[in-house]
Amino acid sequence: MNEFTKEVLRLAGDEVKTCIQCGTCSASCPTAHLMDNSIRKLVKFVLEGMKDEALNSRSIWLCTSCLACTVRCPRGIRPMAVVSALKQIYEAEGMRNRDSIHEEIFNRHIKERGRVSEFFLSAEYMLRNPQSAAQIISFGAELIPRGKIDIEIRPDSIEGRDEVKRIFEELGGA
Amino acid sequence: MKLAYYPGCVARATGKEYEISTRSVCSALGIELEEIDDWNCCGATHVSNELVAVGLAARNLARTELPVMTGCSICYSKLRSAVLRLEDNGVKRKVNSVLEREYTGAEVKHLIEVIMEVLEGADDGVIASLEGLKVAPYYGCLLTRPCGGIDSPENPAVLEKLLRTLGAEPVDFRLKMKCCGGPIFMTEEAAASDTAFKILECAKESGADAIMVVCPLCHLMLDANQHAMEKKFGAEIDLPVLYVTQLTGLALGLGVEELGMGMNSVSPAPVLEKLEAARGAEEEEGEVC
Repeated sequence: MNEFTKEVLRLAGDEVKTCIQCGTCSASCPTAHLMDNSIRKLVKFVLEGMKDEALNSRSIWLCTSCLACTVRCPRGIRPMAVVSALKQIYEAEGMRNRDSIHEEIFNRHIKERGRVSEFFLSAEYMLRNPQSAAQIISFGAELIPRGKIDIEIRPDSIEGRDEVKRIFEELGGA
Repeated sequence: MKLAYYPGCVARATGKEYEISTRSVCSALGIELEEIDDWNCCGATHVSNELVAVGLAARNLARTELPVMTGCSICYSKLRSAVLRLEDNGVKRKVNSVLEREYTGAEVKHLIEVIMEVLEGADDGVIASLEGLKVAPYYGCLLTRPCGGIDSPENPAVLEKLLRTLGAEPVDFRLKMKCCGGPIFMTEEAAASDTAFKILECAKESGADAIMVVCPLCHLMLDANQHAMEKKFGAEIDLPVLYVTQLTGLALGLGVEELGMGMNSVSPAPVLEKLEAARGAEEEEGEVC
């Protein structure tokens, strides 16, 4: 078992080893038909130590975190936790794409302020990924006139932001 | 009944009408909400590190002694998942080493459970009824997942039951459990819209007058994004998407303003007209008798 496999098992649970490749996870996945490698295949890559194949799969970023795979797995594996583990390793390896940039901004906003402002999240994502501008602007044009997004000057922070920061720093490294 | 209320970040932005209608309905039903002081984001589906996600939820849960209620299915799922993980003493010890207030255990409820509880105990006269209205009950993904929550993750019936209690007719809705794609909308628009549009088409085919949702992200995908998707896929849907609290509020006789109905992207006017017509007919009938 190589280091990559060990790390995924540490993050997603040792029971991943018991996968029988039945494909129930893939059959339950709402975005499976759009994926390059199905969730079943991702688990196989992990168990075979095929790090590059796993980390370069677009599938990781098409997971909607709906947990359909997780409630159905006959072996009690949490396939979504495998995807989460792959996202963490992807970021730890210094790999970047538009999806991981979004995750990075989302996490940083919680870490720094305790809450997420949809206005600042969208604004920063648009700056970092200008290709998303048309989509975000047209969505904003739908929502802002309805009073559903306030144009904020400065993002709010909660009082307990230092505690939240410690949650990320002290629990995130474990 | 007094509960701790966890609004979640979206309640303060794109889900404002959910928050407005939640407060109005709870007040009408005699449910007192005490907002958790200085609550933080639950991390939604974007915090991949499991222990951090559990820590974020635990900080919120440790800030009250009351049962915690939320209307957002994502927050509900994250808070509930954390309670399950925190049953492991090792996890609880690690998390408590960081928290200012110790987590000792918590009860998490979805708004629907609370509404059902009150309505089931109420007199029949409380409800003005949604008679004549056909509604597609949309569960989405995280209301029932992981297991052990409000209802079965495979074949739930709680929303149908609620609709019948309100006097509406739940239609048979094949894709009621299929995820709306909301969590990846910002980054993977094509995939998310592909998923959401299938749900809208299915609801339309079911003959519903409206879709009922229980999560602000589902609402964003099916309501706010509906016109854009109609254009993209070249098909007309024009189906109002109402929050569970908006429908409950209408059944209780609350006004459209109290229910934030002016904020919905797809006009709820056809639903209101149908209800008015049904009530008018009922009154006329009463006069004849």
